[in-house]
Amino acid sequence: MRGLILSRLAAFALTLIVASSILFVAVNVVPGSAARSALGIDATPQALARFEAQHGLDRPLVVQYAEWLGKTFTGDFGKSFQNGVDVGPELLRRLPVTLELAIFAFIIANLIALPLGAFAAMRHQRAADKGISLLASLLGAVPNFWLATLLVMVLTLHFRLLPPGGYTPFTVNPVMNLKQMIMPALSLGIVSSALLIRIMRTAMIEVLSSDYIRTARAKGAKEGVVVMRHAIRNAMTPYVNVAAVEFGFLFGSVVVIEDIFLLPGIGSFVLVGIINRDYPVLLASALTITLVVLIINLIVDIVVGRLDPRRVTRHQ
Amino acid sequence: MREYRPHAQGAARPALAIRELTVDFQRRSGLLRTVDKVSLDVWPKEIVGVIGESGSGKTMTALSAMRLLPHGAKIGGAIALGGRDLVNIGESEMRALRGDRIALIPQDAMQSLNPTMRVGRQVGEPYEFHRKQSYGAIWSKVVELLRAVKIADPETRVRDYPHQFSGGMQQRAMIAMGLALDPELIIADEPTTALDVTVQARILKLLRDIRDERGSAILFITHELGIVAELCDWVYVMKDGKVVEDGPVKRIFEAPKADYTRMLLEATPSIHRRKGAKR
Amino acid sequence: MSTAIRKPFNWRRWRLVVTGGAIVGTILLLAILAPWVAPYSPFDLNVAQMLKGPSATHLLGTDELGRDVLSRVIHAARLSMMVAVLASLVGLVFGTLIGTLAAYFGGIVDLILMRLMEILFSFPAILLAIVLMASLGTSIFNAMIAIGIIFIPGFARLARATAESVLRQQYVEQARAIGMSHTRILVREILPNILAPLLVEAAVAFSYAVLLESALSFLGLGAQPPDPSWGNMLNTGRGFMGVAPWLSIVPGAAIFLTVFGFNMLGDGLRDAFDPQLRDE
Repeated sequence: MRGLILSRLAAFALTLIVASSILFVAVNVVPGSAARSALGIDATPQALARFEAQHGLDRPLVVQYAEWLGKTFTGDFGKSFQNGVDVGPELLRRLPVTLELAIFAFIIANLIALPLGAFAAMRHQRAADKGISLLASLLGAVPNFWLATLLVMVLTLHFRLLPPGGYTPFTVNPVMNLKQMIMPALSLGIVSSALLIRIMRTAMIEVLSSDYIRTARAKGAKEGVVVMRHAIRNAMTPYVNVAAVEFGFLFGSVVVIEDIFLLPGIGSFVLVGIINRDYPVLLASALTITLVVLIINLIVDIVVGRLDPRRVTRHQ
Repeated sequence: MREYRPHAQGAARPALAIRELTVDFQRRSGLLRTVDKVSLDVWPKEIVGVIGESGSGKTMTALSAMRLLPHGAKIGGAIALGGRDLVNIGESEMRALRGDRIALIPQDAMQSLNPTMRVGRQVGEPYEFHRKQSYGAIWSKVVELLRAVKIADPETRVRDYPHQFSGGMQQRAMIAMGLALDPELIIADEPTTALDVTVQARILKLLRDIRDERGSAILFITHELGIVAELCDWVYVMKDGKVVEDGPVKRIFEAPKADYTRMLLEATPSIHRRKGAKR
Repeated sequence: MSTAIRKPFNWRRWRLVVTGGAIVGTILLLAILAPWVAPYSPFDLNVAQMLKGPSATHLLGTDELGRDVLSRVIHAARLSMMVAVLASLVGLVFGTLIGTLAAYFGGIVDLILMRLMEILFSFPAILLAIVLMASLGTSIFNAMIAIGIIFIPGFARLARATAESVLRQQYVEQARAIGMSHTRILVREILPNILAPLLVEAAVAFSYAVLLESALSFLGLGAQPPDPSWGNMLNTGRGFMGVAPWLSIVPGAAIFLTVFGFNMLGDGLRDAFDPQLRDE
């Protein structure tokens, strides 16, 4: 078990370093663009040069990267080009918003996918299965920002049930917080459930046709026991793997949804960074999202190892 | 002429009686008949072999008796377990019999054990489903069972997961599961094909001991003549969903009546000698 | 009666391809013929006709500047299709190149290239696209490049897997034995044999490209007004969703229908050519 965790941690560290360099290079592919966008198109060459020297942008990219990486590791995310505010504390303020949104959405996605996928598998090739499969294809084609718009049109404008956006911390007003979070979480979660329904269905069909399910029935197990005790757990191993990737995808999609619902999370911070060409902000927030996704994959890698007793014993 | 069947003597009725059994599958091209008017008996304490090539309908016949056919199969004819009808009873009544009065020992033990559940828990499930007992009581019964099927160190092995068992041990665990509640009938569907020869011999001996000591009748499905010769009292030969011949093992080997049986015997010439050497 | 009868057309096997193909075909046709089939110019302002609901003259209504929504949606299809084709092409070309090289040279080249692809793959796609837009600058052309880059690792993985199986074939070993140059072997022997699965993958990438492009345009990072794109139309439409809901419904429905059509076509093609599913 310890060996497994250590090897995963090593891979994680390597991935993180390469990923951070990819982000850094991606942002700095075109030289000089930061200064121009910070100062405006009619800035003089002298002013641009001064800005670059001031922020160390005139040095070789490798040097800039090393410095940025070193500082980032000590928790110093730099200051915003725009207003000189420290990026680090701002990130910390925004992270809980995005985490709440992503987790809420993920819960919704699973609440839809697990029962529907399992049920479709139990009714394999019958009407219910075909209906659920079609539903999954339909949901998979819905752009989440369109779903968000439709939800606002129906739930806010028509029924006046929910606020159109904004954010209240859970600790300040839990009811308001949930009311504001429902639509963003639904927009992300419903769309994410499409893939998860398919995965759960496939995994369950596979498991339900296996010999050990027949064994359970041969012992006189009730259908509920067959599904809940014998099938679900075995279907979870492939499911959790895909669900983790989907969570990462979902975490990345918060950018659009946070923008629509005016949620002050990391996603909207990315957008602030790109619209203002505020590179410290953009890099820090993109790196945070990437880091969260990588950490989730790491945790799942280890948890999936625990779900399957065959892997646990091998590493003992 | 009726052949002498020792196990039928003095017994009130067969443990399992199958009459004119048909199993059909709906295909787009029409009905596909996999079992065609099969009739067979298994008398108490008898080991009956059903031999045939793959596709002969032998496994479908066996699964019919458990009512565990794949989805979409249609059963016709009659099946009775100790005189009790199995074809027309409801699913919950059938469930009450499975694992209690009639048990299955499947072909591939490794695939037939749930990989994410401890062996002990799986072996104990027949008690859990059919007898209301405390976990502690079930646990000690499971240990006993594992000891009965000759698994060494059963007290610690109950906690193992299936992959920690060898192939032979996995099959022993499946047998333990099958005989947990001393069923009237055990259906063994090629339980030794996945095992090597020495392990196979030990498993066959175990099955014979179970019959001798516990009195369960055994319906043994196989494609290997050698196993039939060694283990069974009575044998049914199946081809293309039909029974072509049945009779006492000795007579079938010495004087087969059906051409197909003769062909099977000729294809494996060593059987005669092996059987002869034993006598 | 006659042995010459051809196997009847198997509707069950081809129904996804036919339905998906019909949807995709219609959209492609509308996109190509946009200037001729669109009833109005997508740019013509008409202040007298602002925010008018669907009617006989404007089937899908008009927007906040009095422009015909139907015409704009049709012209936007043109842009979406163009971005999707070119982005898929960028991913296909570079992904195939990287994957094939990795498979061909193996060893350390393979290790480094594929590890890099793996990491690129672990980024949330939309985030990577947005970050790339930062240095490339916001324009529809750059959105296309960014989306193309996102597709590279997927194609690279597939190309590597297929190329590896082709490399094990005898004719490749013969080509190596007679001293054919690396480039010649790659272009002549390997490339033609790995193209088919890559093209099926391209169909899948296509629908994803439509989604990504519209998301970027929705955020204002892709197509710039007044050029119509489903994403930016939806974004503008949201401001009027109370008075003119069609401005939000129509472009979203267009994205949905396109993505659905392509997914259906992709699934159908995969199933139809999957030998395991052929007989059932």
